[in-house]
Amino acid sequence: MLKEEERRRAETVVPGGRESGRLARPDIRDEFGLETMDMNMGPQHPSMHGLLRLVLELDGETVVRCDPVMGYLHRCQEKIAENRLYPAVIPLTDRLDYLANIHNEHGYCMAVEDLMDVEVPPRAEAIRVLMSELMRLASHIPSIGFLLLELGAFSPILYAFRERERIQDIFEAITGARMMFHYIRIGGVKADLPEGMEERIWNYIESLEASFKRDFIDLIEGNEIFVARTRGVGKLTQQKALEIGLTGPPLRCTGVDFDVRRDYPYSWYPNVEFDVVTDEAGDVEASYRVRVKECYQSMRIIKQVLEKMPEGEVMADLGRRLRPPEGEGFGRVEGPRGEFAVHVVSDGTDVPYRVHYRDPSFVNMQMLQEIVPGHYLPDIMPIMGLIDPVSGGWDK
Amino acid sequence: MGAFVNALDQEPWRFIISFLVIVVLTLNTAAILTLAERKVAGYIQLRYGPNRTGFRGILQPAADVIKLFVKENVAPGKADRWVFLAAPIAMFVPAAVIWMVVPFAPKAVVTNLNIGLLFVVSTTSIGALGVIMAGYGSHSNFSLLGALRGAAQMISYEVPLILSLLGTIILTGSLSLSDVVDKQAGGFWHWYIWSQLPMFAVFYIASIAEVKRVPFDLPEGESEIVGGYQIEYSGMTWAMIQASEFASMGLMSAITVTLFLGGWQPPFEFLDLGNFDWIWFGLKAALVMFTLQWVRWSVPRFRMDQLMDLGWKVLVPLSLVWLLVTAAGTLIVG
Amino acid sequence: MAMPQIGQGTLKGMGITLKHLLSKKITRQYPEYKRQMPERSRGMLTVDMDRCIACLQCMRICPDHCISIDQTKRDFDGSGKPKPFAVGFMIDDSRCMYCSLCVEVCPVNCIYHTEEFEVQAYSRLELARQFGERPVDPTVDPKPQVKKKRPVRGGSKGKAAAKKKAAGKEEEAA
Repeated sequence: MLKEEERRRAETVVPGGRESGRLARPDIRDEFGLETMDMNMGPQHPSMHGLLRLVLELDGETVVRCDPVMGYLHRCQEKIAENRLYPAVIPLTDRLDYLANIHNEHGYCMAVEDLMDVEVPPRAEAIRVLMSELMRLASHIPSIGFLLLELGAFSPILYAFRERERIQDIFEAITGARMMFHYIRIGGVKADLPEGMEERIWNYIESLEASFKRDFIDLIEGNEIFVARTRGVGKLTQQKALEIGLTGPPLRCTGVDFDVRRDYPYSWYPNVEFDVVTDEAGDVEASYRVRVKECYQSMRIIKQVLEKMPEGEVMADLGRRLRPPEGEGFGRVEGPRGEFAVHVVSDGTDVPYRVHYRDPSFVNMQMLQEIVPGHYLPDIMPIMGLIDPVSGGWDK
Repeated sequence: MGAFVNALDQEPWRFIISFLVIVVLTLNTAAILTLAERKVAGYIQLRYGPNRTGFRGILQPAADVIKLFVKENVAPGKADRWVFLAAPIAMFVPAAVIWMVVPFAPKAVVTNLNIGLLFVVSTTSIGALGVIMAGYGSHSNFSLLGALRGAAQMISYEVPLILSLLGTIILTGSLSLSDVVDKQAGGFWHWYIWSQLPMFAVFYIASIAEVKRVPFDLPEGESEIVGGYQIEYSGMTWAMIQASEFASMGLMSAITVTLFLGGWQPPFEFLDLGNFDWIWFGLKAALVMFTLQWVRWSVPRFRMDQLMDLGWKVLVPLSLVWLLVTAAGTLIVG
Repeated sequence: MAMPQIGQGTLKGMGITLKHLLSKKITRQYPEYKRQMPERSRGMLTVDMDRCIACLQCMRICPDHCISIDQTKRDFDGSGKPKPFAVGFMIDDSRCMYCSLCVEVCPVNCIYHTEEFEVQAYSRLELARQFGERPVDPTVDPKPQVKKKRPVRGGSKGKAAAKKKAAGKEEEAA
């Protein structure tokens, strides 16, 4: 009885999944006693981008139903933030999307600055943009690597992590830590760039431009096996993408022209020129191309920021104890995975009343349930490569 | 000295020596290949492979073997015990037995079967049975998927494997591997790779699929079904499966070298080493194994339907067409 | 699904991997080679006990409750006025997340990051480093001392009441 209900529910969510194959013909199904196989790609899996459980129902190799079960990394971050002083929440936000930490801090700080009406000095804004774009590079390049790792090529991910390590070395020289930076503060950034850092970043970007094409485009783009595995897989239409609420590269690879940096400009982005990259195809290969081109745009932005960096102080004067007035603040940034937004509610004390994170990984993961049925089992991995979620993001 | 060697050529010494050589060769190939694989992987990925155990990591296989010996052999509760434990043996035996017909040097072959090639292809088929036993006996969803994929893949890639050998058989006129190598004498322009280049390509690709290496490692698909048919094995049982995979890789390289690259024949006549021609054989086999590893760390893997498409729709027609060309050529040229 | 034709793209990719195989490796052989840590790197914490005034700011702000201080009053310079003194100071490395909030908040700059990052021990309790005279028990969760405040005119509204509410929430959470 329960299985019938489940089947009906699955069929309404997934119109195309069950209509193909032998299961759609009840005479064959009943005569041979065919059944689907329930399988669990469980939380312990080397390729799930974190701790994700996918409850799959398979007909041979075709996925008929795919239900993601999230929550294996839930750390109650929004609740903990209700007990911490406003500046002490920033190390918490670092740990949300742990491959793109700066964007999380930036979103939260923008929300609190919106709440308190703080004016951030221009040099601090420029440094924030510089760090954000470096972090976008450090996040997109391993994304490409992960896509290929799950397709079975084990080398590009090591080339990707070589680049990420170099960027992390730059971050360590600026902020002091390689991953959990705690650098962007409410009202500015923690400290100015050290001596010679602009030279170093400039040299690094030049060397990256030289080696990027060889390592990440030539090795991958023309490869027939890669093309065969990713073209036409996970095809999204613009309509569907907007319905699910996707943002970031999964949305832009279907052709929708939306980028928070351009449409809701924040920080120093009005002063830099960059293109918003879109692609028409809407499949995994398109998302790969979008990410590659976004890397080039990031390099362009970094060069412009380094040329035009204003002088001045890096931190607004806010006093020792932050006590915002009662009210709400909202901040949104364009993270490498999509739009990251923070909503802070304050009741006048020095701890927030409520902090809510709108994480792009959580929202983008909803497409798994809609898109995967009808594909083969090995296609789930490239589709995860299209979404590129991070488990700290969807679980918080 | 000559009398001593002649005495060794008699039974039972011949049997004992051959047995030891085959067993030592198979196991050592497997062990050394694990190290070679990791070093090649490391170098391609801009790092050193294992380089702490021994000089440049040379004792790593010993460390691996010791570790696997002392590990517990875990089996799932509901697994079919006999099938589960017999599967690694069924996978290992073909990889060991086929070495008997491979010629290492002039007159150094364990048994010069006059149906050598037939023996090779028929024994290779038993490997597919081992995969099904492993996957079925493990009583797990992932293993079953891996076993079904493995069975489909191995059985369908035997067809191009066999078809690509037929060209060399026509050119040689006999099924014995020693005859195949003898016919390729005279320097490296006489090797069969030049007249049979498409067949070489087909055989090479089909042999990668038989050994289940990337890009054809979907039965073992590390990214989705995490190990496929070997997911429930650990300890020495898993070591047997890995050893059989590496030993098959070495064996397929040896067969490739024998059939297409001249076996123990030196590339130029004046470099002939007489009874030490197994050095040439070893060098060529090592080169082929290196290319197999190089391919593994460079390309992604196929999906099941693309794999089957490649096997049936590309490799089989290509080998049939070239078979016709070879036959016509032999008829015309004489 | 299109049949893949193995050809140029794959071979070009293999050429690139071969080039990488022959190029210089980027492995740094740790521990024979230890790289120079940048100036600002945040390693293990250490305390200069001569300067500590036992104000308990670091203990209050630490998000993970890894600093635990035993505060007494002691007369140093014989002036007759005992000053607060940290007789027990413990930093628990098993909890520290190197966020550097305590470093920023210290008024006399006596707690600071070193460049060491190799934190290893055989048991978790060994990771609690003691800096004071008397050892502090690392298994007890430290609670900052909440000073009693005089009741404020105006009832439950106002800054002081809000502060007490915040301190009460912190105590609940600790």
